[in-house]
Amino acid sequence: MKLLIQAVLLAAVLGFLIVFVRGQHGARMRASKRLAFIAFLFLNAFAVLQPEATSWVAKHIFGVGRGADLLLYALIVAFVFAVLSLYLRLQSSEQRTTELVRTVAIRDAEILNRDRGLLPAPTLLAPTEPPA
Amino acid sequence: MARGNEDVWIIIPVYNEEKVIADVLENVLQTFPNVVCVDDGSSDASAQQILGTRAHLVRHPINLGQGAALQTGLRYALGRTGSSYFVTFDADGQHRVEDVLTMLDLARSGKADVVLGSRFLTSAETVPWIKRVVLRTVVALSPTARRLKLTDAHNGLRLFTRGPAEALRISQNGMAHASEIATALARSSWRVAECPVTVLYTEYSRAKGQSLINGVNILFDVSMSRRGR
Repeated sequence: MKLLIQAVLLAAVLGFLIVFVRGQHGARMRASKRLAFIAFLFLNAFAVLQPEATSWVAKHIFGVGRGADLLLYALIVAFVFAVLSLYLRLQSSEQRTTELVRTVAIRDAEILNRDRGLLPAPTLLAPTEPPA
Repeated sequence: MARGNEDVWIIIPVYNEEKVIADVLENVLQTFPNVVCVDDGSSDASAQQILGTRAHLVRHPINLGQGAALQTGLRYALGRTGSSYFVTFDADGQHRVEDVLTMLDLARSGKADVVLGSRFLTSAETVPWIKRVVLRTVVALSPTARRLKLTDAHNGLRLFTRGPAEALRISQNGMAHASEIATALARSSWRVAECPVTVLYTEYSRAKGQSLINGVNILFDVSMSRRGR
């Protein structure tokens, strides 16, 4: 029975690793996250109504001593998942900020350095030469 | 003012270097007319110091890191007409203009697309011994540096011709960009050469330079970025 909880937790760790390596945030990923969240809410409601049920599930299905222990394990897994997905989101957000800052900085610099006389005036806006 | 280096752009990332940047620029501008400084959101008067010279100034409104500043400078230089050679140069005065000229000769001869400065090709006398140990360890631990037979992966002095400069995408905003550049070069088919350079370890650069602790940060950033892809 102890094997089952070990298998479940290891599978979760492996799942995170795959998610992390692939780093995809497609529509399917979002949908499955939302479905998992809804399932989590339903399980919450069930656990509130039937507190002994968590202990029963822990003991008879996962082979863990108490329901509270099972909750702790699940919480750790969920926490790691939350941290990883936040990390990925922060990274992509940083990349976007960088791109924005770079574009603004270069545009400003071209105006500034033109005013300092280091860059030629834009040729596109200059009036065409009068015919000889 | 020396003639014939109009196709060379020197890219200098600057972060809080008000004490030395004007002198460094004065020195570089004597040989190279085209210099672009990327002020990475400095909180001191670095920008004012740069405005007092003939160097181009690009300002990040917020601090992003040295890698991001290099990429910004590179894009600015790539957008200028007639630019063919792109040199990354440190703001703290530890690099020598003579070394850039040697590297430029190598690139102009057509023997290499990318020339990297190395502190260890000849004598490593000027490098403090603790730094020597740290840098050699980083090289030994880095598979890409070994594949390219690099002796010094973390030297800020690099020269790119237009092809590799356009292909370069530095996504590591922080200090891990050096390893990222080495990895990108190892995966590409550009011809990479190393050139011995002398790094001047002044009191100033020593105080600002990378420490052993920073090496740990770099290794962490690099391993995380591989996982993220």
